[in-house]
Amino acid sequence: MNTMKPTKQNREWISALADGQLVGENFASVLAACETDEDALSSWSTYHLIGDVLRSPELAPQTPDTAFVMRLRARLAQEPALDARGVVVGVPAGALAASPMSAGVSREASNDSNFRWKLVAGFASIAAVVAVAWSAGSGLLSPPAAPQLARSTPSQQVLVMSEQGPMVRDARLQELLAEHKQFGAASALQMPSGFLRNATFGPPQGERR
Amino acid sequence: MNRKKFRLLALMGCALSASNYIAAQPQTPAPAAAAPAAESRNVSEWLMRMHEASRNRSSYIGTFVVSSGGVMSSAKIWHVCDGTQQMERVDTLTGPPRSTFRHNDQVVTFMPEHKLVRTEKRASLGLFPELLKSTSSHIGDFYEARQEGRERVAGVDTDVIALVPKDGMRFGYRVWAEQKKGLVVKLQTLDADGKVLEQSAFSELQFDAPVKIEKLTQMMNKVEGYRVEKSGLVKTTASAEGWALQKPVAGFQPISCHKRPRAAQSGDAPMQWVFSDGLASVSIFVEPFDVQRHLTESRMAMGATQSLTRRMDAYWLTVMGEVPPATLSLFADGLERKK
Repeated sequence: MNTMKPTKQNREWISALADGQLVGENFASVLAACETDEDALSSWSTYHLIGDVLRSPELAPQTPDTAFVMRLRARLAQEPALDARGVVVGVPAGALAASPMSAGVSREASNDSNFRWKLVAGFASIAAVVAVAWSAGSGLLSPPAAPQLARSTPSQQVLVMSEQGPMVRDARLQELLAEHKQFGAASALQMPSGFLRNATFGPPQGERR
Repeated sequence: MNRKKFRLLALMGCALSASNYIAAQPQTPAPAAAAPAAESRNVSEWLMRMHEASRNRSSYIGTFVVSSGGVMSSAKIWHVCDGTQQMERVDTLTGPPRSTFRHNDQVVTFMPEHKLVRTEKRASLGLFPELLKSTSSHIGDFYEARQEGRERVAGVDTDVIALVPKDGMRFGYRVWAEQKKGLVVKLQTLDADGKVLEQSAFSELQFDAPVKIEKLTQMMNKVEGYRVEKSGLVKTTASAEGWALQKPVAGFQPISCHKRPRAAQSGDAPMQWVFSDGLASVSIFVEPFDVQRHLTESRMAMGATQSLTRRMDAYWLTVMGEVPPATLSLFADGLERKK
């Protein structure tokens, strides 16, 4: 059997084996290689570890094998950026979180070093504060009502359309206005204008007692 | 050269003194001996003519637009008069639909949305000629009629007449009256600065329209499916109610006083005491003071109508009218409780 396979090909097959995706002839040959080749075996262990850690963090060793981790990091550093399984994206958080020697692990944002982004973040936060303050402030400002708006009873309010938009009027006052127009309009101009005016511009609600 | 200049100066001098002389003539507001030419009618004559026009114009159909306090409403109008009786139908085009029918002084209002019909007798509508007779001497004392020109409104040629108040206690008016018969086509209520407080006008007007009294009467009586409400008014007098206006406001005569009978739980119905100076009217409403309802004294302007509310001992006054706010204060100050 040819054990001298290209290393890369070997590793790929071993990782596939660890995944349980290797079948047939390749499967057999890789198994055989693992038996004989120490490199292959360590690769297999590595991939297995990585896979386990990725899938279930609690399987990560609680007592870190420092030497192993160092070796792992060294090996990973050598790996190409995109592996077949895309393993090398970052250091597996689980494995290194347990390690007190995680000097390289930074909790900072990846774009922290870029000042431009800090600026953007700053502006965004300022804009957010201004937006909140604006909506709160405009809620405090009273609506620009006409100076003659009555500060009348809170009960019995009627919404009436006016040029300032819907204005709240005292329902009682509206009632009296209707009565004034009907029975109080003693004017020489009643006919026809006064009567027509009142019939056209009548009260907003139809029910009156 | 000198003589030319001299003659020019002399001419100017003459013209100036002549115009001075003319201007110095006293203005007679109600010229009793004025020739009744079309242009020099007095206030009463103009008003009478306007009033008669709705009888002389046998029928018309039009669209009426009212603009008050910045809000506009319009309605379709049918009018017919057969000499003795007048009938009118007003259908609102803005806001909730409402059809008002008038037969002389009987008014029926249909409110389709509420399935309600209200019938009432409006004494004020038949009031005018009596009003004019009783206050004829007074309207001229307080208003002056000036013809301001001619204008075409709603397809009709009109005379523009300004009714100018002689004191600051009332508003002025500008009337566009049709030239032929005097029907009021447009009316503006103006304040002391000449600002338009309210305007009502025909936007289109068609004379001699095919309107039949029988048809309108039929419509007016069609109350099936509606709940009929008869508005009752109890006529009374202010003195019987225990009130008097100790300091009468110049030009304003008491016209009528009534109470509306109401259900017991809404408390006493307010007494309404109506005053008029012939063109403007003021209503004083008096009701018992209720600390829960009557919280603040206020003044409001609703188009041309000004209002004022005030507490007076155990009573709550609401004074309302198409007059400046100061005039309302005069009414409120002058009201006294007798008994």
